[in-house]
Amino acid sequence: MIKFWRCYVCNDIHYGVKPPEICPTCAVKNAYVLISAREAKTICGAPAEADFSKDDFLTAIQKFTEDNEFMVNPDRAKVDLLFDGIFNNERNHGLKYCPCRLMCKELEEDLKIVCPCNFQIHETYKGLDKGECWCGLFIKRPKTSEVNP
Amino acid sequence: MKKHVMFHGRECPHCKAMMPLVDRLEKETGLSIERLEVWHDEKNADLMRSYRPIFTPKCGGQLRVPTFFNTETNDTICGEVEYEKLKEWATK
Ligand code: SF4
Repeated sequence: MIKFWRCYVCNDIHYGVKPPEICPTCAVKNAYVLISAREAKTICGAPAEADFSKDDFLTAIQKFTEDNEFMVNPDRAKVDLLFDGIFNNERNHGLKYCPCRLMCKELEEDLKIVCPCNFQIHETYKGLDKGECWCGLFIKRPKTSEVNP
Repeated sequence: MKKHVMFHGRECPHCKAMMPLVDRLEKETGLSIERLEVWHDEKNADLMRSYRPIFTPKCGGQLRVPTFFNTETNDTICGEVEYEKLKEWATK
């Protein structure tokens, strides 16, 4: 079962079945202790109050794609429209929900549509040369030969 | 609710791309497609959720937009499709 864990040295929070052996923030070994969801919420709530703009989100997802086989769609108008939806959904519904799907009001299910979602399993992505996430925010990186013919 | 319904999201690019096709469909067939936005209207969202057992098998196990729904036959199309497919859904 997925639980919350806290690094006793730097308060890094981990959400998962088991904690990392080495804390990725402070590098201390065997540093995690199981905590309650309430504690995790309080600790995570503090930095969350800081502003996280659309530019911050773009930087975050660009960084996320760097070493992956996919990239952020270069179609800026599409990205802007999706960002409007993602940020409106966070403001109105609490999380960065996918603008091209709908929450079903069951948290476990709804966590599957928080952006970026696990889109590599989508039929619009998996096994396709020009695959993209359901919304088209992420696309498979074109092969180098396609970029420079 | 009308016979033909389109559940859509205001900031969904697929929905945006389908809108001109829906306009064309209405013009060509004289049908009227009821457009229900689901991320900014809780009533519409609840209505869409109430069709979850019908929609999800057609939509990768999830509620996705756009979803085109015929309330009489339960015929459902999910996502961006060619005009002909949309027309077939509306007229059969
Ligand atoms: S389908 Fe694309 S835009 Fe939608 S949540 Fe997944 S990654 Fe984000």
